[in-house]
Amino acid sequence: MNVFVEMISFPFMQRAFLAGMILGLLLACLGVYVTLRRMAFFGDGIAHASLAGIAIALLAGIAPLPTALAWALFIAIFIFWLERKVRISSDSLIGILFTASMALGVILMRFTQGYQPDLVSYLFGSILSIQTVDLFVIFLVTAGILAWIAISFRSLTSMSLSEEQASVNGVNTTLQSLLLYIALALATVLGVKILGIILVSALLILPSATSRLLTRSFKSFFFVSILLAETAILVGLTSSYFLDLPSGAAVILVGTILFFLAIFFRKK
Amino acid sequence: MVEHCSVCYGESVIIDDVSFSVEEGEIAAMIGPNGSGKTTLMRTILGLTPLKQGEILLFGKHLHQVRPLIGYVPQRFMFDRDFPITIREFLDLSRHYACPESRMLEKIHEVGLGTEILKKRLGMLSGGQLQRVLIAQAILNNPRILFLDEPSTGIDISGEAAFYDVIEHLNKEHGTTIILVSHDIAVISDLVDRVICINKHLLCHGPPKTALTPKKLTEVFGKRAEVYEHHAHQHKHHHL
Repeated sequence: MNVFVEMISFPFMQRAFLAGMILGLLLACLGVYVTLRRMAFFGDGIAHASLAGIAIALLAGIAPLPTALAWALFIAIFIFWLERKVRISSDSLIGILFTASMALGVILMRFTQGYQPDLVSYLFGSILSIQTVDLFVIFLVTAGILAWIAISFRSLTSMSLSEEQASVNGVNTTLQSLLLYIALALATVLGVKILGIILVSALLILPSATSRLLTRSFKSFFFVSILLAETAILVGLTSSYFLDLPSGAAVILVGTILFFLAIFFRKK
Repeated sequence: MVEHCSVCYGESVIIDDVSFSVEEGEIAAMIGPNGSGKTTLMRTILGLTPLKQGEILLFGKHLHQVRPLIGYVPQRFMFDRDFPITIREFLDLSRHYACPESRMLEKIHEVGLGTEILKKRLGMLSGGQLQRVLIAQAILNNPRILFLDEPSTGIDISGEAAFYDVIEHLNKEHGTTIILVSHDIAVISDLVDRVICINKHLLCHGPPKTALTPKKLTEVFGKRAEVYEHHAHQHKHHHL
């Protein structure tokens, strides 16, 4: 018991748990719509594309998180615009843009002087990386996105079921889709510090995919997703502390174990 | 009211200069062979397909001003059958804030379903049950006009007659204007007040008895249009 008390007494662990819990809530809520609208690749693409934003920040010596957020926002709006402009599938567009942005990030990193310890933590996540200012940004952006989800809950759910029907019912489907892209881009980048570029999108997908196996109603689907995300975060971060593991990898492995448990123990 | 309406997909013209009007409280049917543009015309009226030319007014106003007055049942409701949502939650998505929750029960009864269905998952419904739930959703906010695209698709013959009884009930009891797309001229000629025959252009328009002459039927559907007895409905039916 003492070891848990000791873990919680460290300020960096307090920040990691707090940031993790907030992010778990945010990514689980958005993940519900990501799995229903089959947008898993979008989250993955945005996370990878954020490398260029981080590289720009490191090169310019400015704060990486706000720069990565601004870059991801630009990429999300650019994908949204291109999808409506060019007759190429959304997956192909995301694939092109995320690899191009990642390539740009790698080239920019080449010009950054000296060893960059931050880079490894950006790739795989680190519980040591959350600063008080990051916590503040995570809280503010999350509050904004959750407020939008609460206001647009019916529109978002209706659109995920049938965009056509939602449109007839008066939902501005173009605007709501754009806002969903923006929210996803921001949430994914917020998760990069704890979970890492490579792994963050898994927390968008795993809780909702697991919840979908276990639930019948939308309300329970939503709440079980949040519960699973928070469980993965709490157990994952604790293992990361005790076993000295990269936090992103630990959280995602816990989420994956929960997913397979759901497959084996769900009611047929 | 549809006035000089034209719709194009790229270079090809799907609807060319079509004009007609429907009176409030009527049941009207848009008929025509496959690919004639009737579904496109309904989608254009609903704002789902862009209008190239012309004007469409509902109750004298543009679509965005009258959206809450509209109900719509698509030909095929394409959705993920694994979507975890109950019928109650599905109906609740369309419920206006002013519409009481009790109205869900009322509408479910009105379309001939029991309240136990509210707990079922949307993806578990049969074709006929889904169609009824879609109608219940479309009429939940007591719309003044209801659009139905091939409403009997996926329903067996016995269910079809009951389905059209529901349509007739909505029109007679609630005064709801109904516009439906159909290829089943037989059912329509007994049910509707007005037919709108379309094959890219407007071919005829008016009450079925005067508009659907044998000559006009041949013109709309070609020489293979024939008449036979449909025993399930005990009506004289025209089929392709």
